[in-house]
Amino acid sequence: MAVLDPSFKRTLKRYGAGDFSACYNCGTCTAVCNLSEKNAEFPRKLLRYGMLGMKEEALADPALWLCYACGSCSDTCPRDADPKAYMAALRRYAVARSEPTGLTGLLFTSNPLSIVFSLVLALVLGFFMLTLKPDHVVSRWIFEALPYEIIHNVGLIVMILTVISMLFGVVMMFRRLFKGFKLPERPWAALVDAVKKTIVELISMKRYRSCDNDEESFWRTRPLVTKPWFVHLSIMWGFIGLLVATAVNFILKDPGTQVWLPTRLLGTISGIALVYGSSLAIYYRLAKITSSYKKSSLSDWLFLGSLWFAGVSGFWMEIAVTADWASSLNRIVFLLHTVVSMELVLLFAFSKFAHAFYRPVALFTHFFRKA
Amino acid sequence: MAEQKRVGVYICHCGGNISDYVDVVALRDELAKDPDVLVSKHLQFACSDASQKEMEKDIRDQHLDAMIVCSCSPKLHTHTFRNVAARSGLNPYKYVQVNIREQCSWAHSDHSAEATLKASGLVRAGKERVLNAEALIPIRVESRQAVAVIGAGVSGMRAATALADMGEEVFLIESAEKAGGQVGSRAKLFPDNSSGAALVERMQGEIRKRPGIKLFTKATIQNVSGSLGNFTVKVSVGGGETLSLNAGAILIATGYDDYKPLTDEFGYGSGPNVMTLPEFNALLESGSGDIRVGGRAVKRIAYIYCVGMRQVKGPNAYCSRACCTAAISSALAAHERAGGLDIFHLYRDIRTYGKQESFYERSSKAGDSYLMYSEKSPPKVEQKGASLGITVKDSLTAKTDIELEVDLLVLVTGMVPRSDSGNIASLFKIPRGSDKFFNEIHPKLRPVETVINGIYLGGSCQGPKTISESVQSSLAAASKIFGVIGKGTIELEPIVARVHEADCSYCGKCAKVCEYSAITEAEHGDRRVAIVNSSACVGCGICAPVCPSDAIDLARYTNAEIESMIDAFAAASGIVPSASGEGDASGKESIQMKEFPARWNTMLAAIGDEAMSIPAIAGATGFDAQDVTFEVMTMVKYRVLVPKGIDDDDEYYSYQRKW
Repeated sequence: MAVLDPSFKRTLKRYGAGDFSACYNCGTCTAVCNLSEKNAEFPRKLLRYGMLGMKEEALADPALWLCYACGSCSDTCPRDADPKAYMAALRRYAVARSEPTGLTGLLFTSNPLSIVFSLVLALVLGFFMLTLKPDHVVSRWIFEALPYEIIHNVGLIVMILTVISMLFGVVMMFRRLFKGFKLPERPWAALVDAVKKTIVELISMKRYRSCDNDEESFWRTRPLVTKPWFVHLSIMWGFIGLLVATAVNFILKDPGTQVWLPTRLLGTISGIALVYGSSLAIYYRLAKITSSYKKSSLSDWLFLGSLWFAGVSGFWMEIAVTADWASSLNRIVFLLHTVVSMELVLLFAFSKFAHAFYRPVALFTHFFRKA
Repeated sequence: MAEQKRVGVYICHCGGNISDYVDVVALRDELAKDPDVLVSKHLQFACSDASQKEMEKDIRDQHLDAMIVCSCSPKLHTHTFRNVAARSGLNPYKYVQVNIREQCSWAHSDHSAEATLKASGLVRAGKERVLNAEALIPIRVESRQAVAVIGAGVSGMRAATALADMGEEVFLIESAEKAGGQVGSRAKLFPDNSSGAALVERMQGEIRKRPGIKLFTKATIQNVSGSLGNFTVKVSVGGGETLSLNAGAILIATGYDDYKPLTDEFGYGSGPNVMTLPEFNALLESGSGDIRVGGRAVKRIAYIYCVGMRQVKGPNAYCSRACCTAAISSALAAHERAGGLDIFHLYRDIRTYGKQESFYERSSKAGDSYLMYSEKSPPKVEQKGASLGITVKDSLTAKTDIELEVDLLVLVTGMVPRSDSGNIASLFKIPRGSDKFFNEIHPKLRPVETVINGIYLGGSCQGPKTISESVQSSLAAASKIFGVIGKGTIELEPIVARVHEADCSYCGKCAKVCEYSAITEAEHGDRRVAIVNSSACVGCGICAPVCPSDAIDLARYTNAEIESMIDAFAAASGIVPSASGEGDASGKESIQMKEFPARWNTMLAAIGDEAMSIPAIAGATGFDAQDVTFEVMTMVKYRVLVPKGIDDDDEYYSYQRKW
């Protein structure tokens, strides 16, 4: 028995849902959606949950994460209820609800707070970065008050907390998604199958491609490398590539000074992919090229902007290091590069970035339940 | 020898509609041989101006004394050709229309020879009828220039002022203490939020301004007698004196009652927090700020729609049509009065038709939740402490069971016929439908007239209506009434029952069966006979067959006319049709198809040169017998097969290739 919470509607509006109460349940959105399928009907069903205030039902439906926000639902909606914006808002809400500290909710619903928080975090990170060098003038007095080890350990603890938040969110999500779920007849086979399908989908995002190739789609006749699917894929793989390169460098204790080292090469290629993808995505959003890009929230801008800046400043540094230009500007760029990259990682579980682990969980659940 | 008859016969081709199947030339020739027929012609279109002029000329030049046109249904062109007759000096009732299109060519397009034979019978019958027809003159009735309007609600008041402005005297008869009806008690009405009380006050002012309107309140109608042009309505006013009001016509505008939910229907009566929409409106309009029920401020309201309406099994099968908008507009008013409300609408279908759709739009944008239930699983309501628990299966959310807790439940009740509508129906002898609302003659073409001449309907006594629809209908009735009685004399169709006094000894059987009270008993010399009030008689003819001494007949349908038609139709036709299925009048051959459907070829192969019945074809081809029937009928229609005749056991027709 579903219990209605009328305040849910207002909550979702704070998370950036449009005028979705205008919906009269015609179902055009679900009919035009390329990804909606039997047992995973969206957006209409999810919109219905929001309109009536069926909060728990909305969060327990993995269909929420099957959407890639192509926007054809909003294009065809006869009531201008903007299902695409609604789905995005509901995803933000789901992220905020899964994460235990409540920070995500604050950041998503208050733009000023979100900006202040990012700036303060950047200042703190920058300050520590500048003061970590033990023989620095500032560090002498500062490390008297706050020893280097403590800062290092606090940093580690913050990282661990982020990971815990992330894991907590994933567990919360699993619990909601699998509530009242009966295991399939051959659970192990279903599990293997679901994992396989999830990995294939994550690597190829072929469902995303079907959005671009829709008959009515703006992108259908455009070159492959400009399609949202390709853009998203290059951001994703660019980021993963850079993460792997950095991690390998860290493990090998090798800062990657030689251009032709494999890790350096991986980093360069990944960097190009990241900058290419994020630049196009930012351009699409600025130009509002399709309804998919029409409505951007601050969390979209912060996330994309950070990725782009991290990538561009990385190349800047690469050129500066190769040419051996030691200038104060380059030092500042390096500092900013480090601060922004760290912020991205630190806020992994508290920003739009969180979709990177919620979506796989939902995809897995969807495939597993379907088995 | 009887005097020479001079009948004109015109046979219409209807541009091929008739002549493609019925041999109009053969008909013309057959009729031309008839000694009674002076003119026999066939025309492309009898209704065309040229043809009408030709007929007029014939009537004048040949001194025709009767005319028949053999064309389409009399419903279409009787008046056209009656007017042709009238224009050229022939009595319009000496004209008969014979329907050889709907009854012959269209109905028997696959048997044209037989269609021609049937047409010939009908035309001969028509000719006999017109010979026996009397030249009738319209009945003229003097009318009182006064109208009795029953009910002084918004419909009755508006019609009264309109009639008074047209110069009629109006008796406005109201059972309540004052004029105003249902609208008078409302403070806010959709679509413009105007006040019902102000509206009624304005109308009362208009009535006072017009001396021609006499308003009787606390009035009870005791008896109604008379007929169109001269009704007498006996009214007792205030329980005291009885007045006898004389009116030319009557407008019934008695309105509706609000549906009263049964005890415990959706929790009605279980507490102060369950009320009907009219009750809620009264509460809503009675104050400002928070809406309070049982001392508590209301935060959550649920509406249940279609309460007592659209019942598949119950008595009220109809939709009350105004209540969806009324409920939604009350929800908007509630939002306006008390902010921060959560409103749930539990509906079956939202019918905010026409311009009222904007109400639904506004309400849904205001954040109201709409849950759809089906009649089969209605919401369940139970008291839960100070609030109400409602469970509903929402059809729009995959029929999920949904539970909501509200402070107030509003039951959206519709309009039902007034509890005294049975009494009014029997006083005025007007029929009610199965829904117990008063019935009009024709819902589209005669929407404000009743079967009783001179009695009209206005407003929601006829069925659920909004205020504007009610006023529209009562104004329509007012202009209809003025159109009939405004001239002082009324011309009526002379097709009424007539009593032959010599044969009548008043047994009363005819008066008993007459539903229009048109027959009464009267003195005739030393005997008592029946007399017909021809302004009340509608010509239904039910009195004629019950008369044991054949003393009563119906003009245009006299025994002489009907019997002569039967004899003429039964007589042998001069036309000799060719063999069954052959001799197509239009000379059409079997259709030319590039190739037959595969199934036809299979069937034709099975039939070969033999004649086969449908079961035999089905057996030979292995096709389903029903499919074979369909295909055979189609093939006969297209003249690929011809019926060969019935088999020896009189069981099956057999069919043969056409060539």
